Amino acid sequence: MSKPIFELVNELPTSGATVMSLKALDYVVPGEWQNISGFENMITLVTGESDPSMIQQIGERAITLYNDPAEGYQRAVWLYQTASSVGGKLGAAALANKIGESVSFLGFLEKLTPKADKAQAIDFGIKVSAEIIAYAKTNGIPGDGVAEFMGAVGDYGKESIMRLAALTCFDGLIPLGPDFLQKMEQFIGGLAPADLTSNPAFSAIASAIPGGGADGQLGFIQQGFSSIKGWMGNFVSSKGLTPESVVGSLKNFIDVSDDKLDYVAAFLDTTTNYFDYTGTQTVARRLIERAVAEI
Amino acid sequence: MKFSHWLFDMRRVLVVALLLSVSLVACKKEDPRWSEADKKSKEAIEAKKAAQESGALPTPEEGGSFNKFFPKDVAGFDISASQEKTGFAEYKLKKDGKDMAMIAISDVANNPQAAEKFTSATKKIGGFPAVDQGSTATALLVGGRYQVKVLSRSPEFGKADREAWLEKVNLAGLAAFQATK
Repeated sequence: MSKPIFELVNELPTSGATVMSLKALDYVVPGEWQNISGFENMITLVTGESDPSMIQQIGERAITLYNDPAEGYQRAVWLYQTASSVGGKLGAAALANKIGESVSFLGFLEKLTPKADKAQAIDFGIKVSAEIIAYAKTNGIPGDGVAEFMGAVGDYGKESIMRLAALTCFDGLIPLGPDFLQKMEQFIGGLAPADLTSNPAFSAIASAIPGGGADGQLGFIQQGFSSIKGWMGNFVSSKGLTPESVVGSLKNFIDVSDDKLDYVAAFLDTTTNYFDYTGTQTVARRLIERAVAEI
Repeated sequence: MKFSHWLFDMRRVLVVALLLSVSLVACKKEDPRWSEADKKSKEAIEAKKAAQESGALPTPEEGGSFNKFFPKDVAGFDISASQEKTGFAEYKLKKDGKDMAMIAISDVANNPQAAEKFTSATKKIGGFPAVDQGSTATALLVGGRYQVKVLSRSPEFGKADREAWLEKVNLAGLAAFQATK
């Protein structure tokens, strides 16, 4: 079994590349994401409760709910972790998140290889699918979850909306430019099942994607992408997001240069794990919300 | 060995020892307060499963069967489904885009000890035993089986609001549903 939820939350770093990159996106979704670590802190933040005996009861119930595999929360965390690591991280990523404060872009430059556009599109499609399935696992909506998920995206807040903002910016806008959605639509629409089965990222997560085989799973990924495309396009235009504005904000927190956007994307992909980080926070929040209601 | 060499070696040993101890402290995330609960929970999950299989504990209702009892249209508020699991359904209450409260119905078959607090309840809401929990929750129990709880998520939503919203849940409907079981 994976680690217990209190350990996962306690181990969320409070500094480092991931935290800095999320802080850089605060201007996109102001005040939504909080740099919070520590299980007890999370309980207080979510419930507003400060009574120690209540906090203990809530924590114990949340731990029990998480430990029961039938409840789906463990699977959701696994999805976030697996989809987060598909980019092929360097061992240095862990280090960057521990030591943190002075992650040097130039120091990393020669170790970075920008992803081909098609691989970027596949990874993006996999993250979107992981988000949809994790949503259904966490919130318990039956079926393939795509339609229900799109209904819920409008109500996304806190670390969940930050995760989608980071997906938009770090996995879309920066690597592929302002027309990333059109480019991805072309790539994802043109994929064959063999493109997926030969992709290590897909193999890692395939067991969780519905569809009963690569054909059907490709369908799920394509459907997931086309569902989120409209929302994401509106998000980009309503917030006035451009690769330059996002990198401009990143430069306040991380040492990156803006003349090599594909390298900035590779740098973020290598040194951050925003998907896993905010995914763990989302699942912990839902667990705590349920725990306090059930005790 | 020359003294200077020995001293140099000892320094290296000390530096390594220091680094090791620093990294051990940095890696130590154990939290006795929760690790005990973690151990116990695994036994509790198995025990609950066995009790449900043997019929000693009822099987929890599907969360979806509670949906119809939640308040739906209340002027000035947005009410949306938040979570739906076996034996549990929860709705979020918003006003002007701001989280105000959560409303949940849970089947205590999932967590039997949740029912215990109602044995010492000193008040009733809608005719059902009710208790306050901590500073943010008010709960009642329908038919010894379904816990209905309202949780404040804003200082603007106090105890009186929680009590009023508990009464907006279709408690009679929930009691009738319980009676058919």
